[in-house]
Amino acid sequence: MSYSEETLMAYADGELDPAARAALEAAMAADPGLAQRVARHQALRARLRAALDPVLDEPLPQRLLESVRGAAAPRPAAKVIPLKRPAAPRWSWPQLGALAASLVLGALLGPLVLHPPAGGGAVITRDGEMLAGGALARALTEELASNRTPGSPVEIGVSFRARDGGYCRSFQLREEKALAGVACREHDAWRLEVLAQSPPQPPAAGGYRPAATALPPSVARTLDELRAGEALDASAEAAARAHGWER
Amino acid sequence: MSASPQALREALVALLPRLRRFARALARDVHDADDLVQIAVERALTRSGQLRPDAPLSSWMFGIVRNAWLDELRARGRRARVFAPEESAERVGDASQGGHAEALAVQDALARLPEEQCEAVALVLIEGFSYKEAAHIMEVPIGTLTSRLARGREALQEMLDESGGARR
Repeated sequence: MSYSEETLMAYADGELDPAARAALEAAMAADPGLAQRVARHQALRARLRAALDPVLDEPLPQRLLESVRGAAAPRPAAKVIPLKRPAAPRWSWPQLGALAASLVLGALLGPLVLHPPAGGGAVITRDGEMLAGGALARALTEELASNRTPGSPVEIGVSFRARDGGYCRSFQLREEKALAGVACREHDAWRLEVLAQSPPQPPAAGGYRPAATALPPSVARTLDELRAGEALDASAEAAARAHGWER
Repeated sequence: MSASPQALREALVALLPRLRRFARALARDVHDADDLVQIAVERALTRSGQLRPDAPLSSWMFGIVRNAWLDELRARGRRARVFAPEESAERVGDASQGGHAEALAVQDALARLPEEQCEAVALVLIEGFSYKEAAHIMEVPIGTLTSRLARGREALQEMLDESGGARR
């Protein structure tokens, strides 16, 4: 079978469905010429990223920070903290607060961030990506959708495998202004694929809300787009946790 | 219900590095790119009421940057992607400082793309948006996005193959 350049580009962009991807990968294994055509598209992606990614590490210009913060914002000294931190430490709130105050690396969305519980901010950024932090990261790593932890500030909705084979989980933060989202395991962290405010809902009468009800549409959509199949059942979920959510 | 102004501001700070990267791909020049981000941030803050509670902030924000850039191009006139010599000189200085002749070659190639191909390439290949998200940001059907992306890619490959010497 011959492949169009568009199909090969879609493969390089992660846009093929699992069946088409598997078929193409089999064809590439048998046809070095085809593999080379794909590699060309992948190389272009890598080349563009390599050229533009250094922008992420530049200190943020003061005038932009002032625009975002408003004129009344405190003016910190222009202190440069590189965004790429080798062996990033687990940031404590005071540290994060200091970073935000120095306006070099912001982190944060929503009430958990503005009024963080002892567990730390739910959202942190690293290299320009939003990652789960604090109590959210812990819950994503440790809690099971099939066996919820009473009193946890985080409610895991479903766990599933994404089309690229990695593990992802939906969650809701039980806060006054609830946030819901989907996070996918990427190396040593949970990358937030989407985070949105949940629509207002009546307080649950003494129990949990059923999982995945009243998810914000953007979260529900992302969930549908990401997932390759059914949600993991209790034993598959426990097994994935036991393997550290590695694909 | 929309995010509190303070939460929005914090979220925008977190997005700034990516917005600057996107703007740099569009505008190439460092100062033009930051002007663009600043305009977009100001627009976002005055229009935060338009942000639907369930809408991902990033697509909304990238859409604002993109529209601000189109406005800027319109204001400059369509052929205005040719920069004044002093701006080019400054940009060369910025790039060589980091020793990035390669990065410069890539940015020049991007700048030579037609606008609609450049933004498609920047959103998907650099910013990592899905076709669906990128099409939404550009307000075009997915088929339009993929054809712009394909043409942009081929043009880039050609330009960069020619300037392949810059890689060594």
